[in-house]
Amino acid sequence: MFGIFSAENRLKALSAIWLVFFVISASAISHEWARMTSELVAEEGEPHYGLPDLWDGQQVVCIHFPDNSTHPDYSDGRHHIDYDGTDFMTDSDSNATGACVGGFSGYENGFDLMLDATNVTGGKLEVGYSVSEWGPYVQSIGGHEPTGDAYWALYHDGAMAMVGIGDLVVDEDSVIVWQVDTW
Amino acid sequence: MLGAHAIEVGPLGMLAINISLLVLVGWALLRAERGLPDGREWTLLVMLAIFGIFGRVLLEPLPNIQPVTVLVLLVGVHMGAKRSIALAAVIALGSNMLIGHGLWTLYQALGWSLVGCLGAFVAPRLNTLPRIAGTAALCGFLFGWVISLSILHTLGPSMLPAYIIAGLPYDLLHAMGNLFFAAWLASPLADIINRHQVVTLEASENVPVTA
Repeated sequence: MFGIFSAENRLKALSAIWLVFFVISASAISHEWARMTSELVAEEGEPHYGLPDLWDGQQVVCIHFPDNSTHPDYSDGRHHIDYDGTDFMTDSDSNATGACVGGFSGYENGFDLMLDATNVTGGKLEVGYSVSEWGPYVQSIGGHEPTGDAYWALYHDGAMAMVGIGDLVVDEDSVIVWQVDTW
Repeated sequence: MLGAHAIEVGPLGMLAINISLLVLVGWALLRAERGLPDGREWTLLVMLAIFGIFGRVLLEPLPNIQPVTVLVLLVGVHMGAKRSIALAAVIALGSNMLIGHGLWTLYQALGWSLVGCLGAFVAPRLNTLPRIAGTAALCGFLFGWVISLSILHTLGPSMLPAYIIAGLPYDLLHAMGNLFFAAWLASPLADIINRHQVVTLEASENVPVTA
């Protein structure tokens, strides 16, 4: 019905080939694109502000818990935990309670960095997530699972991340912050 | 005793199982449709909704690749905007009841409804397969941009362009998926829909022509 029969079959074959090609290369394309467009989001101030000088130029993951649901181990301020699990400083003047785990280097993927950083706390900041077509979706951190229209929001270097944690390309001095926002 | 639950299936294995199930669902629906008398438009719409919901859920392992956009586009082209909007809303809610329902369901229903309306609006021009396939591919981007509007709940309008640009690889995948489904579904679906529009066409033909 759509004209020449062979043209229709050619389109079917080509569309199948293109689809397979793009599915196979989706991860690489997405990764490179995230790297290319990361500069589109302006860094809001100095992301390492308030963090220990020890971590300057290194990668940090911070988890900020909501005021009405503080973490039992980190309710007295923002704890600073080094890459080996040493809880070496608590900033009780911080606006947020929770923990920052830092001193990492060499990570390129945000999800890898997050999992390794939260692992050093011995399960206190355990990450609960599901994997969908969009990549990993963080549902709970440190036992806190937001309900209703609240969710764990991802910030990268001071600005809300434009991609999910699975596609987030981090720099050598990236600061990832998770905090509970609402729609 | 070892049951099927003891067998670990990898992501590729699950994808193969899901695609097999979708083919089975499609085949069963096609067989059922052939047993229907002509003119069962709403029954056909229900069948398309079932295929759309299963298609979206079962193809979830593939990023942004599903048959829903092409289904609502083709229903918009052949059956009009109202029916495509109904189909879009039912598929969005039905599939999200299985894979996650929230505020985004509203934007997905809106995005697919717009695709259906676009199909209805440009239907007279979509008379060749390449045109339908090209429009379906463009709808992948259109849908993505509509969905992106949901970030206005949390971010200012100034962030919207960056968000849309960051999502282009996913929109491209959506477009490629749409191209594939349009190439394979447009002709057979047009024949099926036309068969069930016989009553409507006869009714139209019986309308007396006025000067």
